[in-house]
Amino acid sequence: MKKKLKLWFESLGDKENPDEFDAKQLVRLYSIKVPMAKRLEPKDELDVCGINPPYVLKVCSSNILHKTELQGVVLNNDNECVQDNFKMIQKRFPNENILVENQSSYMGPEFIIGIIKDPALGHAVMVGAGGVLTELYKDTAFRLAPCSVDEAKDMIDELVLSPVFENFRGMTLDKEKLAQTISQVSILAHDLGDKLSQLDINPIVFSDGEWTALDVKVMFD
Amino acid sequence: MDKTASLKRLLNPKKIAVIGASKSKDKVGGIIFRRLLDSRRRLFPVNPKENAIEGHKVSPDIQSLPEDIDLAIITISAAAAVKSVEMCIEKQIPNYIIVAGGFGEVGEKGKELQEKLTRLAKENHVNILGPNSLGIFLPDENIDTIFVEHGDKSLDRNGKVACIVQSGSVGVEALGYASNTGYGMRAFVGLGNKCDLDEIDFLKYFSRDNKTNCLGFYLENIEKGRQFLTSAKETTRKKPVVVLKAGITQTAALAVSSHTGKLAGSDNVISGALKQFGIQRVYDDEEFCDATKVLSMLSYAPGNRVAVLTAAGGYGVMCTDFIEKKDKRAKLVMAKLSETSKKQIKDATFSFTACENPVDITASADDRMFSDSLDVLIEDKGVDIIICIAFFAPPGITENLIDIIADKIKKSDKPVIVFTKYGPFTDNSIKNLFYAGVAAYPSVGRAVRAARFLVERTRIKYRLDQEASLNEKKIKTLV
Repeated sequence: MKKKLKLWFESLGDKENPDEFDAKQLVRLYSIKVPMAKRLEPKDELDVCGINPPYVLKVCSSNILHKTELQGVVLNNDNECVQDNFKMIQKRFPNENILVENQSSYMGPEFIIGIIKDPALGHAVMVGAGGVLTELYKDTAFRLAPCSVDEAKDMIDELVLSPVFENFRGMTLDKEKLAQTISQVSILAHDLGDKLSQLDINPIVFSDGEWTALDVKVMFD
Repeated sequence: MDKTASLKRLLNPKKIAVIGASKSKDKVGGIIFRRLLDSRRRLFPVNPKENAIEGHKVSPDIQSLPEDIDLAIITISAAAAVKSVEMCIEKQIPNYIIVAGGFGEVGEKGKELQEKLTRLAKENHVNILGPNSLGIFLPDENIDTIFVEHGDKSLDRNGKVACIVQSGSVGVEALGYASNTGYGMRAFVGLGNKCDLDEIDFLKYFSRDNKTNCLGFYLENIEKGRQFLTSAKETTRKKPVVVLKAGITQTAALAVSSHTGKLAGSDNVISGALKQFGIQRVYDDEEFCDATKVLSMLSYAPGNRVAVLTAAGGYGVMCTDFIEKKDKRAKLVMAKLSETSKKQIKDATFSFTACENPVDITASADDRMFSDSLDVLIEDKGVDIIICIAFFAPPGITENLIDIIADKIKKSDKPVIVFTKYGPFTDNSIKNLFYAGVAAYPSVGRAVRAARFLVERTRIKYRLDQEASLNEKKIKTLV
């Protein structure tokens, strides 16, 4: 295994399941941008030093898969309200870590990039229309991992969403960079090997000239 | 000799032993033996209960067979078939086709028998096709071991498509369908249960075979998925590969909590993987035959702009709808004809001819007008593909049109696809067109779909060529 992945596994300690913060550190190793963030422990005071407002507060636990449904996410916090909302979310989840992040503004739609392990063909990478409605849209394309940047471009072209890259309503989204990101994720899966079971980057959005992973989940066998 | 090269003796044997050959015309051993009589190979029937079949002396047992038999076709039932393979191996026979079922598909006992065959093949370096194999049929080599009825005569025309099928019935139906309308079959191989030889072996063989220019597979399971895909990609650089994959693999059974997992459904993964490796996917036997037919007869579409030439207005309009319909396989557009083309067509036909694409020369047209208009479309630089709607009902249009179109296709570097219908004579018209070298289909939708296969193939070839030249550059830089 690559050295950077070894170090990442070591950083998990004896944790069996990486949480969102860990998962974001993992994709960062493959040049995928994530928002500035801090992971605060249950008794910690709020610390936003080095993070620009507005902030997102999220409960950060590998045990909680659907944090929005459990009211574990608070968006649009400015410097004034962030303290109160932090206390509120801490009260709601007294034993869990809290993630405080810069809330990225972005252009265009949300995408999803993911990995699954097919029993016959091994790891496959997916790109699709992302966000909370992703399973309703079912606008997806798959390739086996690892896949090249050119193959990833073909995947993007297959999506119903693909016209957003043709200057749709004045949007200037970078298709090349999204393709590079897909390819990087597929290489990550290839490098991690058989132990990787599933990975979701959802949503990934075009923020400040870079594709930025706003939420990442990783699952091992 | 490597395994791939050794298949030549299986597919073109000189001396064939038929274990279980029978006098009875109803028994599999009787049907196969009689079919082989036409093959002008030396035949060695084996059956302890017979003395002679159709003038051939029958050996009472495998021990009394001569040396250097190339192929043994085993027509007896499962357990006895395995025993006879063991005996044939003593006689150093290198190739086997096992027809009987009753192996891996019927439970533990059958599974054991099949595993034994796998072991025998491996340990003794012999090739076993099947069990449960439909057999092989290579018209050019004049060899046919298929024991069910199929229309071989119309397939027997220097065909270039290698069809490798896992299931018997789907394979037979494809054969029947193909023979009704004309189809260039290079080879037909029934894989059956794949105890030894599988799709990868035949992929490699026909990839190297000079007489093959297109490969089609019907597969239910691909055990060595990645290996098949990688080998197929090697092939698709040179020849189109079409896959009809039936049956969903078991991703669904995977415990999924991720969005990606829920969205996957293994069919999406297969579809993506086939595209990635340059393989063209089809979904039923009709589409399988349509695709392989056009890909073997017409190789290249310079672009996706289609011109439609018709003597029947309604079908011209319908054809336009099909062309402009959104389709995941490949986008087609209606070509815009040049002003010169429009004038030339009017001059060659009538002043009232509708010369915007679709070009409708009306039921008053005759062979010459059709021919001249086709010339104009072939010359027009804004046209990449031509679909001819050929009807023989108008009084001015005769069957001579078949040769006219065929002649132009031979000289044109643009593909010309024909849609024709002629009531109860439709299949025959299509067959006659096929004999003349023209790919024709009995519906507008299928003719347009055939055009999409060509555009899809051209795009795959372009992508693979680019990838190859990029890799070459990389290697050069490294050196």
